[in-house]
Amino acid sequence: MKSISLYVERDSFIHDVDPITKLLYILFALLIPIILPTFTISFFCLGISILLLIVAKVIRKTVPVFSFVFLVLITVVIIQGLFKPENETVLFQIGPVAMYKEGLLYALTITLRVTNIVSSFLILVLTTKPSDLVETLVRKGMSPRIGYVIVSVFQIIPEMMSSMGTIMDAQRARGMETEGNLFVRVKAFVPLLGPVILGALINTKERAMALEVRGFNSRTPKTYLYEEKKYTHSKLIQSAMLFLVVGAVAWRIFV
Amino acid sequence: MIKVSNLSFAYKKGGHPVLSGLNLEFDERSTAIIGQNGAGKTTFVKLLKGLLKPDDGQILIHHFDAKIKTAAEMARTIGLVFQNPNDQIFKRTVLEEVMFGPLNIKMDKHTAEKQAIKALKMVELDDKLEMNPHDLSLSEKKLLCIASVVAMDTDIVIFDEPTIAQDHYGKEKIRQIIQALKDQNKLVMTIIHDMDFVAENFERTIVFNEGRVLLDGDTRFVFSQKDILSKAKVEAPGITQLAEKLGIKNTILTVDEFIRH
Amino acid sequence: MKKIIVEGLKYKYPLSDTLALDDLSFEVNEGEFIGIIGKNSAGKSTLCQALVGLVPHFYKGAYGGKVIVDGLEVKSHSIADIALKVGMVFQNPFTQVTGSKMSVYEEIAFGLENIGLPRSEIIERTDYVLDLLKIEQVKDHNPFDLSGGQMQRMAIASIIAMKPDILVLDEPTSQLDPAGSEEVFSAIQNLSKQGITVILAEHKMEKVAQYCDRVLLLNDGKMVDLDSPAIVFSRKDLEDHGVRAPVFTRVCKALGVKKADSDDYPVTLEDAEKVLRGRML
Repeated sequence: MKSISLYVERDSFIHDVDPITKLLYILFALLIPIILPTFTISFFCLGISILLLIVAKVIRKTVPVFSFVFLVLITVVIIQGLFKPENETVLFQIGPVAMYKEGLLYALTITLRVTNIVSSFLILVLTTKPSDLVETLVRKGMSPRIGYVIVSVFQIIPEMMSSMGTIMDAQRARGMETEGNLFVRVKAFVPLLGPVILGALINTKERAMALEVRGFNSRTPKTYLYEEKKYTHSKLIQSAMLFLVVGAVAWRIFV
Repeated sequence: MIKVSNLSFAYKKGGHPVLSGLNLEFDERSTAIIGQNGAGKTTFVKLLKGLLKPDDGQILIHHFDAKIKTAAEMARTIGLVFQNPNDQIFKRTVLEEVMFGPLNIKMDKHTAEKQAIKALKMVELDDKLEMNPHDLSLSEKKLLCIASVVAMDTDIVIFDEPTIAQDHYGKEKIRQIIQALKDQNKLVMTIIHDMDFVAENFERTIVFNEGRVLLDGDTRFVFSQKDILSKAKVEAPGITQLAEKLGIKNTILTVDEFIRH
Repeated sequence: MKKIIVEGLKYKYPLSDTLALDDLSFEVNEGEFIGIIGKNSAGKSTLCQALVGLVPHFYKGAYGGKVIVDGLEVKSHSIADIALKVGMVFQNPFTQVTGSKMSVYEEIAFGLENIGLPRSEIIERTDYVLDLLKIEQVKDHNPFDLSGGQMQRMAIASIIAMKPDILVLDEPTSQLDPAGSEEVFSAIQNLSKQGITVILAEHKMEKVAQYCDRVLLLNDGKMVDLDSPAIVFSRKDLEDHGVRAPVFTRVCKALGVKKADSDDYPVTLEDAEKVLRGRML
């Protein structure tokens, strides 16, 4: 059974950085463009993120995600370029349709912000195993029960999806059409909901009982099968980010 | 009734075939399909039902090619009772649940209701028409699923593991239902692990192993082939083994046969 | 000391009107292999769950009487504490996989991590049960990629690794094929031989007759009998309680052939063969 995590196994510096640092990086990539809202800074931050993705050798895996994001952003660009209320200066015209400078610049700001957030998330998601992230958080004090819920989602969702296939088969076997036009397909969805939800509830209950008898709610402090993973330069990187944020605030105030 | 020629199927294109070059013919004899999990039994039944399409070969049901029909169209001729009732039940009353199938295959409401009540009588749930299906016990839910398929009045009825987790009384009810279907000249097939049940109720037995048919014939003959059975990791019913140990020449299938001997 | 003591156990599920368990009292010795039989809804699963604390702590409901396992009273201890004394294996192999671990090895270690064992001990115990349950060769596989029989053996391994002296199994083979069933029964018998007290709820009467020291017959939550398989299966009123004797016993009952020097009928293949062979000569 496959897990739905996006983790890609590679041998890179980024993979060896600890998950908490990567979480902090997302915060970092979010804050800097807000503190110093110029295009130059936004491009710079995006550039760093993309560079990190290249260093992590996962840049190719980002293509489907970025394609989807750009598809959405194109609609933003078009709508803002055409219809933003403050639009005055025409940049270019195609027949009766005019694209305005203000709208396009605004759209560019949005594009940069979104791409920044997405790429910093991708750095975390593509280079970190969910179990490593959760284990680090649990070692730092997060409840192991919450940790379990997060990690189990990645394997249990594929399991649920395959059980959905069985449920669909059971209804098709009773003559419910699933092939055909959109209306037919949508109608076919209704008989699935009840069994899928019920199945998930029953499985959850059985799983909860099985976890109980495996000491899940034990009040003894948890121990770990593996040695704590050693990560490179966590302190160094985190200090550097903190330094840059402070620097950015200072720049904003005094420049 | 069913003719299968050179049937092959793999879940992944180019992957390991689950079934290869299968050739089988089915008449009205009640048939049990046995064998290890992963031997291809469930896949075979899904192909018959049109839920999967063959990669190679042909399935003819009453001379209709199964490849060109959708599963829903096939539901008029061939019914399949799934293992887990919770995978199927979604209506709010027992009667509505059993009418779902007949209405899907375009019976008019009046006929559908008549068929549904007839089927519910057969499983002895006709006094619970207005109950919520989820208020029934697990055994009753399984009987409800059987009724849902029987109500569609198909010529062929296939059961997937009907006796799992059933106690003695539950198995008796299922035995009676299978007999009633046989009396109506329907072809009854089942995938099953309970060899005692097979010996007592099914005329023909097919042994699947690794996507191929290892044995096919009269139940009595099949259970006498100890070596082939052990290759498929299957054992003959207890009474058959006892008779064999005592040196009785015929293959014994039931307690009654043993006593009469 | 008796390993399990049940005294006047009564239990009613929260939304139910009837007692699921009605005044049960019995004792189990260390190392015994007890089979629980009865028709569906007789209370077999509920009794199993009462031995590990799921009843009453998971379900709540109305609880009366006492259950003492290895000196610990179930009512006043958490399930996690009881888990150190009694382990439980359920019917469905899939829902016993936690889904939070990527290999069989880690899956088995999960329970040991929960109870706070030191790392070296976790590794030692995991290696031991992998070998004991004969699943060493799949230790690096994803738990969901195992066969049904292997998954159940992994579940048993995960529980045994926690070193309970008592193992409760609720119809563990009902969803397995014959080969998988055999694997599991053979593993359970192995554990029983090592001194573990085993409680097994089952429908496969031939297996119960073959492996169990004593059989507990339940009906409507009440205890009808607790005795050797020969005595319980020879009862005349077995079918009134919704239970059918092993096929070998049925044959001998019909032929009126009892075991030598006994008032009971044979319950296993071997015994039936011996007795009938004698008669045929």
